[in-house]
Amino acid sequence: MHYHIAVAVIWAAVFVESRKIRGISLSYKRFYKERKSFLCIDGSKLIPFEQVNDDYCDCADGSDEPGTAACPNGHFYCTNLGFRPHYIQSSRVNDGICDCCDGSDEYNSSAHCQNTCRNLGQRERAELEKRMRRLNEGLLMKRQLVEEGADVWREKQAELSDLQKVAEDLQIRLEYLRKRKTEAEALKEEALAAAHPPPPPGQGPRSPIRAEISLEGHEQPMQDTDILIDTDTRLQQWMDSAEQREESPKEPEVKDAGTEDDPDVKAAVEAAKSAVADLKKSEEAYQRLQMEIRELEDRLAIDYGPEREFLFLLGRCFQITAYEYAYTICPFNQVTQKSQAGTEVLLGKWDAWGGPPENPYGMMKYDRGEPCWQGPTRSTHASSLSCEVQKRVQSSARACASLENLVAAFWSGTSDLWCGLGRALGEGAQ
Amino acid sequence: MRNMAAPIDRMGLLLLTLLPVLFSISDAVDRSNFKTCEQSAFCKRQRDVKPGQSPYRALLETLELSDTRLTLQLINDNNKVRLLLELYRLQGNMTRVKINELKPLKPRYEVPDVLVKDPPTEPLSVLNRDENGVVLSLGADSQRLIISARPFRLDIVDGPNVLLSINSRGLLVFEHLRLRKDTKSETDTEQDVEQNVAEKGEGEEEVKEEEDQPGMWEETFKSHSDSKPNGPTSISLDFSFPGVEHVYGIPEHADTLKLKSTEGGDPYRLYNLDVFQYELHNPMALYGAVPVLLSHTTDRTMGVFWLNAAETWVDISSSASVQGGSEKSQTDVRWISESGIIDVFVMLGPRPTDVFSQYASLTGTQSFPPLAALAYHQCRWNYNDQEDVKAVDDGFDEHDIPYDFIWLDIEHTDGKRYFTWDPLKFSQPREMLQNLKDKKRKMVTIVDPHIKVDSGYKIHKEISSKGFYIKNKDGGDYEGWCWPGNAGYPDFTKPEMRAWWASMFAYDQYEGSMENLYTWNDMNEPSVFNGPEVTMHKDALHGVWEHRDVHNLYGFYVQMATAQGLIQRSGGVERPFVLTRAFFAGSQRYGAVWTGDNAAEWGHLKMSIPMCLSLGLVGISFCGADVGGFFKSPNPELLVRWYQAGAYQPFFRAHAHLDTPRREPWLFGPENTALIREAVRQRYTLLPYWYQLFYHAHRTGQPVMRPLWVEYPENAATFAIEDEFLLGKDLLVHPVTDEGSRGVTAHLPGEGEVWYDVHTYKKHQGNQNLYIPVTMNSIPVFQRGGSIISRKERVRRSSLCMQDDPYTLYVAVNAQGTAEGELYIDDGHTFNYEKQQFIHRRLTFAEGELSSSNLSPDSQFSTASWIEKVVFMGVTKPNAATLRTAGGLESALEFEFEPATELLSLRKPGVNAGADWTIQLR
Repeated sequence: MHYHIAVAVIWAAVFVESRKIRGISLSYKRFYKERKSFLCIDGSKLIPFEQVNDDYCDCADGSDEPGTAACPNGHFYCTNLGFRPHYIQSSRVNDGICDCCDGSDEYNSSAHCQNTCRNLGQRERAELEKRMRRLNEGLLMKRQLVEEGADVWREKQAELSDLQKVAEDLQIRLEYLRKRKTEAEALKEEALAAAHPPPPPGQGPRSPIRAEISLEGHEQPMQDTDILIDTDTRLQQWMDSAEQREESPKEPEVKDAGTEDDPDVKAAVEAAKSAVADLKKSEEAYQRLQMEIRELEDRLAIDYGPEREFLFLLGRCFQITAYEYAYTICPFNQVTQKSQAGTEVLLGKWDAWGGPPENPYGMMKYDRGEPCWQGPTRSTHASSLSCEVQKRVQSSARACASLENLVAAFWSGTSDLWCGLGRALGEGAQ
Repeated sequence: MRNMAAPIDRMGLLLLTLLPVLFSISDAVDRSNFKTCEQSAFCKRQRDVKPGQSPYRALLETLELSDTRLTLQLINDNNKVRLLLELYRLQGNMTRVKINELKPLKPRYEVPDVLVKDPPTEPLSVLNRDENGVVLSLGADSQRLIISARPFRLDIVDGPNVLLSINSRGLLVFEHLRLRKDTKSETDTEQDVEQNVAEKGEGEEEVKEEEDQPGMWEETFKSHSDSKPNGPTSISLDFSFPGVEHVYGIPEHADTLKLKSTEGGDPYRLYNLDVFQYELHNPMALYGAVPVLLSHTTDRTMGVFWLNAAETWVDISSSASVQGGSEKSQTDVRWISESGIIDVFVMLGPRPTDVFSQYASLTGTQSFPPLAALAYHQCRWNYNDQEDVKAVDDGFDEHDIPYDFIWLDIEHTDGKRYFTWDPLKFSQPREMLQNLKDKKRKMVTIVDPHIKVDSGYKIHKEISSKGFYIKNKDGGDYEGWCWPGNAGYPDFTKPEMRAWWASMFAYDQYEGSMENLYTWNDMNEPSVFNGPEVTMHKDALHGVWEHRDVHNLYGFYVQMATAQGLIQRSGGVERPFVLTRAFFAGSQRYGAVWTGDNAAEWGHLKMSIPMCLSLGLVGISFCGADVGGFFKSPNPELLVRWYQAGAYQPFFRAHAHLDTPRREPWLFGPENTALIREAVRQRYTLLPYWYQLFYHAHRTGQPVMRPLWVEYPENAATFAIEDEFLLGKDLLVHPVTDEGSRGVTAHLPGEGEVWYDVHTYKKHQGNQNLYIPVTMNSIPVFQRGGSIISRKERVRRSSLCMQDDPYTLYVAVNAQGTAEGELYIDDGHTFNYEKQQFIHRRLTFAEGELSSSNLSPDSQFSTASWIEKVVFMGVTKPNAATLRTAGGLESALEFEFEPATELLSLRKPGVNAGADWTIQLR
C-alpha cells in the first residue's frame, strides 16, 4: 500500500513537472523556471505561470505552449532518447499520429505510439558505419578516378593539339590545292579552246602546247604527296582514318563526247578533274577536322569537377528502366526515353550542373528536349550522386513536364562501392 | 478531368481515327465538332415556328377534375392530333403542367428517378368557367390559374398581376409520333393508325397533311448519321414572365450568372458533352444539364423546371408587356426538346428561399458530404506510382500544408480497366492506402463508365454476359472509342445494372480498396471519342428507349450507382463521396460536381464563380473548378489567386493536365508556398462553418454558395453581381481574379447592415461599393454584422486530425448590438446524424449576453471539442465577462480589448461545445 502511494506521489510529481516543461529542449529550460509569472520569449507579454502549457495560446510567438497544440506557430521538442532529438510543429501534438519516435507528442490522444527510438538509433548508427565504410572505399575509388581523369584529360589535350597541328598542315595543303585547281582549270579551258576553236574565225589551234602544260600539271600532285608524307605523316594518317570513317561518294564520270579523242584535251580535263576532286576531298576533310576540334574543345570546356573526377563518365551511356519506359542517359551529352512502342523522345541535352550550392555536382541538368504539347520543351534533372533510390523516376517524363529526378541512372549497379563513390564525389565537391 | 488530346504515345489505335481531329486542335474549342441549332434538325424546325399562330385549342368539354388533378384535351387544329393536358397543384406552392399525346403510337419517354417521390398534390377548385376558359384557384392566396381555350394558353396570376403565361406566344409544338409515309402501307399497325386517325378526326372537318421536312427521319452530322426510326418527336413550349428582367440557371454553361438574350445567336443548349477546351461566354452545351430556370424581381422569385432528359435548347428574349397600365419589361423563355413529353413544374416562390425549398421537395437536396470532402483535395493527371503518392504526401507535411485527399487519375489502372491497379506502379494499393490512413488522409480513384472490351477483364465479362451493355440500333452491344480503346457502355438506366455496379465497390470485389478510398466518375456524358459530338449515337438503345430520350440522365445514373456502391460496401454506415462531371436535375443527391476541363487562364478563374453560383441555384451546391486550371500552366500569381478563390468555393481541388509541369504548392518558391499555405489554412479554420452550411443545404435545399440577390432580393444592384458571392448568408467573398490587381471593389449589401473584414476586423457599412486595396496575400472576405461563425484555429495535417479540437466563436455584432449563429457537430462521416446523433446549437448574443442553447433537444452526441476563445467584433469594452455553465457555476473570464477595432477576445471559456452556457458582458 505504501509502495503504491509512493509511486502515485512520484508520478504526480513527474506529471506536474513534465506538464510544465513538456515540449522544451534543455537549452530552453531557463525560460521556463517555475516562478509566479512567465514572460513570453519574445518579451511581448507577461502571463501567470499556470498559463504555460494550459492549452491556450497567450504568447504571439507561441512560447507559452511548447507542449500543446494551442499555438499556430509553436514547436514541440521530441527528446527521442536513443535517437536524434528534434522539433515538430505544435499542430502535430496529440493529432493521433506518432511523430516523435519516443511517442511523447501523443500524450493525450487515441494513438498508441511505440517508442522506436532505440531501434531507429541502432539502425542509424549501423547505417552511419556502413556509410563511413562506403565513403572510405569511395574515396579510394575517387582517387583512382581523379588519376584516370587526369590521364584522360592529358590524352584529350594531346589529341586536341594533334588535331590542331593537322589542321594547320591541312590548311597549307588546302592553299596549295586551291592554287593547283585554278591552274589546272585554266589549262583545261585553254586545251578545250584549242580543240574546239571558238566561233570567231582567225584563231588557230593551240592544242599541242596545252597538252604539254597539262601533262606537266599532272605530274605535280605525285611529287607533292610524297613531300607531304615525308614532312608530316600525321596528316595522312588522319586523312586515311577519316576516309575509312566516311567513304566519299564517287562522282559520276562525265564523258565529254566531243573531246574524247583528243589525248591532250583528255589529259587536261582529267588533270583538272583530279585537282578539283583533291581539293574537295581536302576541304571536306578540313571541315570534318574543324568539327572534331570544336567538339573536342566543347567537351574539354565542360566542368568535370574540381579534380576532373567526373571525366570518366564522358562517352559512356547508362540505361534505367521505369515501368514502360527505358531511359538512356549519356552524361554530358543527352537523355532519351524510349517507350515500349519504340518511340524515342529526347528529354534533354546537356546543360550544366544544377545541384544546390552546397553540392553543385549533385545534379545534372539537361534541357532543350523535344517540346511538349501546349507546353515547354522537355527537360531532365538527373541526380548524379545518389545511391539511395534506384527507380525513382519521379515526375512525368511522358507527362512532358520536366523529368525532375532521373535518379541514379548510371549507378545502376548500386553496389556499396558505387554509393560510397557517390558520396565521396559529392563530398569532395563541397 | 481531361479530353481527347492525350499525349500521342498513349493513344494507341485511337490515333489512327483521331489524327485529323488532334491536329485541328489549336487553343480553343473546335466549334465544328458541336452542333448549332441550325445543324440540329429539330431545333431548326422548332425555331422556324414563329410566335402568334398557335393551332392549339383547349376542348373545355373534356375537362375532368379529380382530387389530385385536372385533365383536359387540347387539339391541334391543323392536324387534328389531340393532346392530353394534366394540371396539378402541388404542395408548397407549385403547379405541374404535363402535356402528352392523347393516344401516342407508342409510349413517349417520361423521366423516371429524378423526382424523389410523386409530388404530393393539393385540390384544385374551379372558380369560374365559361366557353372561353376556366379559372382555377391555387389555394388560399389570391393566386389563380387561368386556362384560355382559343388559342390554348395558361396564365398564373396573383391578384391583378400575371406572374407567368404559358403558350402566350403560341410556341407550343408537339410533334406527334407518326409512321413514315413511304413505309406506311407496309406496316402491321396500319389499321390501328387509321383507327386512331379516324377517332381523332371525328367531328372535325379536314385534316391538313403535314409535309415531311429534312431531318425528320434521319440526320447526318459530320460523318455520323442518326437513323430516326421514330421520326420527329420534338416538343416546345413558351413561358412569359411579365415584369421580369433577370433570369438565371439552366447550367451548365461557361457564361454569365444572369442569362442573356439568345436573339440573334444560338439558344442555350442542354446536352451533356465532353467539350475539349471549352470557350467562355458561350451558350454551347457542356458536361451537365439542369433544366431549371429561375426568374427574379424585387417582388418575387419563381422557377420553371422542365423535366426532360433529351437534347434541349432554351431561347431567351426580352420584350415589353403592359401590366397595370404601365409598360414593363418581360422575359420570354422557350424550351425545345428532342423527344419525351412536356412535364413542367412551376415554382411560385415567392422568396428565393421558397423556390429552393420547392425545387428541393421535387428533386431532393444536396447529399451531406463527409466532412473531409469539404477540405482540400490534391489531384493531377497523374500521380505516377506509389512512391510519387508518398513523395507528394510527404511534401505536404514538409511544407506544413494540410490536405485530406490525394487523387489518382486514369493512369493508375491496369490499361484503363477501372477497378484495377497498374501491377507495376500501384502493386501495393492497400499498403499505400494504409499509409495515407495512418496520416488520417484519404484517396480518390477514378472509375469511368466506359468499359474496355477485353474478354480477360472481369468487369467487361460480367456486364457482357448479363446483357447490361447499351445496344446499338441493330441490337448488338454498342461500342465506342475511349481511353481503353474499344469500350462498351453499361446501361445505367437499368436498375439491375446499377445494383450490380454498386456491388463492384465491395471491398472484396474492388481489390486493393479500403474504407478511405472514394470515387470519381469522369467521362460520363458519356464521352465517346469517335461518336457524334464526342458522345453516343442517339439511336443506341437502352432497352426500349433510345439514347436520344435518356442522354442527359446517363451521368446522373452513373453517379447514383457509384454512390450506392460506396454506401453498400460499409453496410450502409458511411456517407459516400463521389465526384461527377456529367449531371442532371437531382444529381445533388449523389455527391459533388466540378466544372470540367477548364484552363489556366484568368478568365477561367473568374468564370468559376458564375458557373458554381448557377449550379447552386438549381440545387447542386457541391461545386468547384480545377484550381490552377486543367489545361495549360498557370504562372505563380494565377495559381496563388486560384487557391485563394478555391479556398472559398465548395469543392476545393487542384488538378492539372498530364502534359503540364508539376505544380504542387511548394514548387513556386517559398513566398508562393506561404501564400498557398495561408489560403488552404483559411479553408481549414472555416471547416466547421462549411460543414454547417452543407448540413443546412442537405436539410433544406438552400444553396451553400449564393449570389448576393438571394439574400438581398430587393436590392436590384445585386442582381447581376458575379464576381463576389455569399457563403451561407454570413460570409461575403470577393476573390481577386485579375492579374496584377491592386484592389477590388466589393458591393457590401444591406441598408443598415455592417460588415467586418475577417482579416483586419475593420467595420464597414452595408449598401456601399467598397474599394479594397489588395496585395498578393489578400483574400477579401467579410463577416456580416449580426452573425456568429465558429472556426477551428488549430490547423493540422488533415481535417480528421482536427476532429476533437476546440472552437473559436467569432461574434460580429450588428447595429442593434445583436448576433446569432449555429454550431453543428457530428461524427463527420456516418449516417448516424439521421439517427439524431449530432449536436446542433443555437448561439445568440443580445443585451450583452452570449448563450448557447440546444436547437435539437432530441439529438444525442458527445464531443471532446470545447470553446477555446470568443472574439467579439463591434463591441465596447466591458468591465467584466462572466461565464455561467449549466450547473449554475459562475466564473470570471479574462479578456483583452482593442479599442481601435472594437475587438474583444475572451480567454478560454473552456466549456464543452455541446453544453448549455452563457457569457455575460458587463
